[in-house]
Amino acid sequence: MPEDHPVPGPADPAIRVVELRKTFVVPEREAGLKHAIRSLVRRRTRQVNAVDGISFDIAPGEVVGFLGPNGAGKTTTLKMLAGLLYPTGGGLTVLGATPSRREKDFLSRITLVMGNRNQLEWDIPAADSFELNRAIYRIPPQAFAETRDELVELLEVGDLVRKPVRNLSLGERMKVEIVGSLLHRPQVLFLDEPTIGLDVTMQKRIRAFVAEYNRRYGATVLLTSHYMADVVALCKRVIVIHHGRILFDGGLSGLSSRFAAYKTIGVTLDDPTIDLGAYGEVIHRDDQKITLRVPKLETSRITARLLSEQAVADLTIEDPPIEDVIETVFASGEDDERLPEREKVSE
Amino acid sequence: MDRADPIAGRPTRGIRAAARLWWVFFRVGAMNELQYRVNFFLELFQSLVALATGLIALALVFQHTSSLAGWSKPELLAVMGVHVMMGGIIQTLVQPNMDRLAREVQQGTLDYALTKPRDSQLVISVREVRIWQTVNVLMGLIVLGWAVTQLQRGIGVVQALAFAGALVLGAVMIYCFWLVISTGAFWIVRMEEISELFQGVYQAGRWPVTVYPAGLRASLTFLVPVAFAVTVPAQALTHRLTERTLLVAFVFAAALFAFTRWFWRVGLRHYSGASA
Repeated sequence: MPEDHPVPGPADPAIRVVELRKTFVVPEREAGLKHAIRSLVRRRTRQVNAVDGISFDIAPGEVVGFLGPNGAGKTTTLKMLAGLLYPTGGGLTVLGATPSRREKDFLSRITLVMGNRNQLEWDIPAADSFELNRAIYRIPPQAFAETRDELVELLEVGDLVRKPVRNLSLGERMKVEIVGSLLHRPQVLFLDEPTIGLDVTMQKRIRAFVAEYNRRYGATVLLTSHYMADVVALCKRVIVIHHGRILFDGGLSGLSSRFAAYKTIGVTLDDPTIDLGAYGEVIHRDDQKITLRVPKLETSRITARLLSEQAVADLTIEDPPIEDVIETVFASGEDDERLPEREKVSE
Repeated sequence: MDRADPIAGRPTRGIRAAARLWWVFFRVGAMNELQYRVNFFLELFQSLVALATGLIALALVFQHTSSLAGWSKPELLAVMGVHVMMGGIIQTLVQPNMDRLAREVQQGTLDYALTKPRDSQLVISVREVRIWQTVNVLMGLIVLGWAVTQLQRGIGVVQALAFAGALVLGAVMIYCFWLVISTGAFWIVRMEEISELFQGVYQAGRWPVTVYPAGLRASLTFLVPVAFAVTVPAQALTHRLTERTLLVAFVFAAALFAFTRWFWRVGLRHYSGASA
């Protein structure tokens, strides 16, 4: 097999992204028939910088969460990594290959799962679709049977694979979709919202599976999700993207310490009727415990005051929930003045 | 794209691999469709109605004349047989894949076909099979058999081989034509009417293209290759086919196929934003 790219050694990253950019040219017109007719003659287009110069490395075996609001550029980046979209600028390599060249060797080592789109044939049982994937990926029969049985067992899909896919529930369908996407044992998994629309139990099941797959095969996983629970459960590292730029790249805990402006103090008092409004914003109170939200920088001062002025039975200091942190991150991205003008109008 | 295809330099291996993939899809698709037996009767009924209409039209024409542009009644019956048969082949193998391609471009699910480590044109061309449409192939064969027994000059091995060759070339051309049009879905999103449009034009192939005026005949030959798909195979059976026509068919089919592959890649480059 001709190899015109160096075979990556163990120290090389599985994914390397350098100053990656993707610009879409979209037609633009105002609503109304008049404008529609005018646009036939003079087409106004607008450039949208969906991905605007991002860089990161992902090591083999790493599980990284890719976070951002809708339209942040997550899916666009994932599609460039999977070789579906051609970058406007910058460079990227996945497993040492250039994805947009769509070399067969590269494609047989990755997989793409999109939670909102099916790839299995709708009218036939999943088991038959697996057979089609076996033929497409040229998986040797024995390896195919082994992987299939292992995945079927891990995801507990059993008899479901013999029913036409259209007769499965959303969660069941996602599970068989995942089996179908992993039959060729890819080394890099791009998971775009794999748990979207699923109930909490099913989300947990899928999460546990991804973690197990990563552990067993040392596969590299890049995951986007709207559910913070997915990210917290699976990813030690997160990359936060907003308006096509990276706002944060690092550990989950670092995300809180860098972006959370508040901490919460849980206080249990001997006399629970005392009002603690003077110390901070009371965000929750029940029979035993009062939860206060205080500015991060004043946490130690307020804690000291509480301990000296009140009869405190118990006190805990916590970071706010990660959802709130993310919200803060996105909000800070909104009015980040360093962001350049991202849309140009041209005629 | 597909530049690093290790089998690209060895066409026979490539064709064998393609045929194997096609066979797997055909087998799985057929097995599953066989479960829906109602579709068989539905298809049979439709096919019979269409056939009856065709036969009535033929009878009406021959009430007034004994030959149409030099074609006798059994010869025209043979044209009709080829027309029905080729229609069946198209609806079994070509149309369902092309409809799905247009649909997937619109819905964004084509991405899955493009992340497969195989030739993308091959993958999108073999995924669907409508096995019950082969009813039309059988029906066409019956009409053809009936026509052949009435032909004044019999059919030798040469004619049979020429017929088979012309049929394959015709089918390839129709596939190419349809794929070129469907590839347009990368630029123009609404392509659902293509099937209907094609069916309309294909109806013109019920008669030998020689009955049409020159302009229309040229369009039905090179624009929409209905002439190559129906008239040319029928010419083979009726001792009308010259070696030259068969050669033209071969060259045109090869050129069209090469063009289609090129155009598909251009379409893909546009789809992935590489051409922008």
